Amino acid sequence: MNDPNPILRLREISKIYHMGDVDVPVLRDVDLAILEGQITVIVGPSGSGKSTLLNLIGGLDRPSQGQIFFRDQEVNTYSERQLTEYRREKIGFIFQFYNLVPTLTATENVVVATEIARNPMPPETALELVHLEDRSDHFPSQLSGGEQQRVAIARAIAKRPDLLLCDEPTGALDLETGRLVLRALVNLNQRLKTTILIITHNVAIAEIADRLVRLGSGTIAEDRPNESQISPEEVTW
Amino acid sequence: MTILDRKLRRDLYRAKGLLAAIIMILGLGVSSYVANLSLYFNLELSRRSYYAECRMADFWIEIEKLPRSEVERLRQVQGVGDLHSRIVFPVTVDLNSVSRPLSGRIVSMPPNPKPVINNLVLKSGGYFTEGRKNEVIISHGFAESRNIRPGDRIHVLLNDRQQQLVVVGTAISSEFVFARAPGTMIPDKTSFVILYVKEQFAEEASNFDGATNQLVGQLTSQHRDKAGVVISQLEQRLERFGEATSTLLANHESHLQLASDLRGLRTINLIVPTVFLAVAALILDVLMMRLAQQQRTVIGTLKAIGYSNGQVVRHFLKYGVAVGLLGGIFGAAFGYWLAGFMLDMFRQFYEFSTIVNRPYLSIVGACILLSVVMAVAGTLRGVNQVMRLRPAEAMRPRVPDTAGRIFLERWPAVWKQLGFRWHMVIRGLFRHRLRVFTGVFSAMMGSALIVQTIQLSDSFDELIEFTYDRMLVSDFDLVFKDEVDYGGYLEVKRMTGVDYAEPILTVGCTFSNGNHRKQGAITGILPTARLTLPRDAQGNAVAIPENGLVLTRRLSKLLHVRTGDRVTVVPLIGERKPLHLPVQLIVESLVGTGAYADFNYLNGLMDEEHSLNSVQAEVDQSPGILDEFYVALKSTPKLQGFSALREQKSQLLVLLQPLEIVNTLLILFAGLLFCGSIVTSSLISLAERRQEIATFRVMGYHPRQIGGIFLRESLIVNCIGILLGLPLGYWFSYFINIFVATDIMRLPFVFSTTILSKAILLGFIFTMIAYIPVYRAVQNLDWLDALNTKE
Repeated sequence: MNDPNPILRLREISKIYHMGDVDVPVLRDVDLAILEGQITVIVGPSGSGKSTLLNLIGGLDRPSQGQIFFRDQEVNTYSERQLTEYRREKIGFIFQFYNLVPTLTATENVVVATEIARNPMPPETALELVHLEDRSDHFPSQLSGGEQQRVAIARAIAKRPDLLLCDEPTGALDLETGRLVLRALVNLNQRLKTTILIITHNVAIAEIADRLVRLGSGTIAEDRPNESQISPEEVTW
Repeated sequence: MTILDRKLRRDLYRAKGLLAAIIMILGLGVSSYVANLSLYFNLELSRRSYYAECRMADFWIEIEKLPRSEVERLRQVQGVGDLHSRIVFPVTVDLNSVSRPLSGRIVSMPPNPKPVINNLVLKSGGYFTEGRKNEVIISHGFAESRNIRPGDRIHVLLNDRQQQLVVVGTAISSEFVFARAPGTMIPDKTSFVILYVKEQFAEEASNFDGATNQLVGQLTSQHRDKAGVVISQLEQRLERFGEATSTLLANHESHLQLASDLRGLRTINLIVPTVFLAVAALILDVLMMRLAQQQRTVIGTLKAIGYSNGQVVRHFLKYGVAVGLLGGIFGAAFGYWLAGFMLDMFRQFYEFSTIVNRPYLSIVGACILLSVVMAVAGTLRGVNQVMRLRPAEAMRPRVPDTAGRIFLERWPAVWKQLGFRWHMVIRGLFRHRLRVFTGVFSAMMGSALIVQTIQLSDSFDELIEFTYDRMLVSDFDLVFKDEVDYGGYLEVKRMTGVDYAEPILTVGCTFSNGNHRKQGAITGILPTARLTLPRDAQGNAVAIPENGLVLTRRLSKLLHVRTGDRVTVVPLIGERKPLHLPVQLIVESLVGTGAYADFNYLNGLMDEEHSLNSVQAEVDQSPGILDEFYVALKSTPKLQGFSALREQKSQLLVLLQPLEIVNTLLILFAGLLFCGSIVTSSLISLAERRQEIATFRVMGYHPRQIGGIFLRESLIVNCIGILLGLPLGYWFSYFINIFVATDIMRLPFVFSTTILSKAILLGFIFTMIAYIPVYRAVQNLDWLDALNTKE
């Protein structure tokens, strides 16, 4: 099997926030490649710059310095319109607190994404992939935390993104539910070959990844393949 | 329907309580526009078609006696389109069903139906037949109110003898839309009748063989704007037949009243709806800012998923569009109903041939559009926030509201006296300045509206009281056909039931001062008069000076004269020599534009002595005696007119009853301004502070204690608003007072502290009513859930 190609490359990325008169550097000269078809997990303590990195990769924010390439396209030069297009077509987002629209049912929350995508899968199929077909008419308030997160996953994958970004996907869940969510992600990776990038402060999750990146104080402290990959059901924290 | 539209629908449904309040306020604003404008257009349309149907005259010329043969020559005057001559005179009507005599006006008509100027619209029966001379067509309103039908007979006092008339039909005519008996303030269908008789009958009854005393005419279209030139040419040609008194359509009483009412509809009532729309927009602004804050994460997620800024902004703008549409549709429907209700009120005052509450799509469309525009304007700041929110920022928790010291804290002695609840409330108010402004503005407008409504109602009361209880205090005014000598007065004095009487000499005349001219009359009263009491600006009765004139304020303004100046008076009787008379005093009068003089002085000016043409009387009101008085009155040959002032007063009070309904509605509208604004901002504030409130509940606070914080906020905001609204209400009242003044009637400007107290009390009551739903929301708050939820 050939080595996978990078789907995304970061070159000397820095991000500085200006808080009044004080400049707060969050990321410094980060070089990173995300390989196609892999699950990459970025771990690091609070304040290490994980969320900022995810926002930059996802086109929610712009770097202060450096370049971001999605395949051969330089994302950091995109206009607002191109960034919107990029998020719409290439990226899927999963948030720690699910960010579902409370007034829409599970299916309808998925439709929010499919309605604007170019080649989406049917919302029902997306829900089947996360085993929520029987909860499709429920509103978020009628679903458990794990179910809500799986709806969020369905919403993210329904538009067949090239890269799925997950921000602490199990952060608000207990172990059992967290495992279910991780299983859903691994299944997607295996069945649809979706590239997945997870950021978390929970090191245990890194064990399901193909690759582990450790972030500390805004720089890459460690970047290595995971030799001892385990299944989500074996994960414990 | 896109998924975002579905979300919009559910979001709207979730905020239904708050939105209902905003939609109501918007709707009330729209309904006032729709009602006023529809009413205006419908009345104007009715007026135009009615005038065209009746061939309404452009001018009226009264002359003592003009040979009919002259009419053809006058018709040749350049600018005269058509001219019609007729005989018009007042009569006393004796109905079997009514004990007292009633006032009437004879108007001659051709024996066969012809499209004459000021023609009739028959409502029942038919036109004259060839058989009887004494046929009459009577005004429809009178016939209806007195239950008179074609075939009935009525009696009038003509040529000093009772004559029987046979009613053949009932009709209306555009020159009497506003039909008012001489000497009365209000149109009165029940005691004033227009009697249309055949020309021949009128000639015989008035000894006017081949003569006429009124010309009604229309101008050619080229001379419409040169009416004055045409009239003065006609007057010149009429000079040798005695002084002619001309009235142009613009000064014709019925038209003048109608025109001023229509003008009022078009402009004055636009204050109220504008206030409502502005308040609705402000409240919506508060709500949308809150929504933008509340849906921060959703907005961020949508943008993260790939929705463009335009798509998200359009979605949030649709809130404004939806609210505006709902408010507009509700307002248009309610406004249409309101227009019908007001039209019914107008029907009591006016008679039109057709008067229909027609809906105007253009008005409805424009008002709905206005409602949408205002609502969208109310959402703009919220939408701007949505637009500016960057997705990455939306993913981070919201920065807590800034809290800092406020200026009051610089005075620790004062600040420390206030408990922590007051600290919270006051700091909160300083933090949400626009919300406070919205509350203060709504309360201010509500309070101003209350002040203006109460003031208007008080003004009408004062108008009636001033006129009937302080100025004209007689029970009955008896008007004679011509001047009579003192014997006529003594005769009345001797009638059964008459306790006291005073003679009056009224001389119709033209007042002038330089270019300023006004037709009117001088009323000569005894220096000791106690039944007519002219009063000064302070309301004190003034003594009539031995010589010179006492002018009503309105007349003095029209003539531009002050006390000490002289005015030229040309009497319409006698030798008609111009007189230059000094103005001795200016008095207040709310009705008409006239002048007073000493009875004997006026007699002297007319080269008469003890001559009079009316008598005012105080009459014993016990039933038997009053009936005897009426019987005597009906057989008084020289009597031409009769007015019962007490009856007029009570009729006026009945006529003003619908106004009370309108006033109550306006007060309720004001209440909605108070409540709508308080309830929305309190509920929004409550939603924002759910966790804070939940924490208080955990600590053991009662809902009442927590509600008290919101009540304090409402009280502070509303007290400021109410107090600011008081002077604003005063100015509203002042301008409305100036605006409604016409030559026929003026409203007194009364303003007392009672009005202010009532406004403050009502404002307070509305504030407390608005607190009820807020308190219930505090009571029903699921505080355990609130504690565990992420905002």
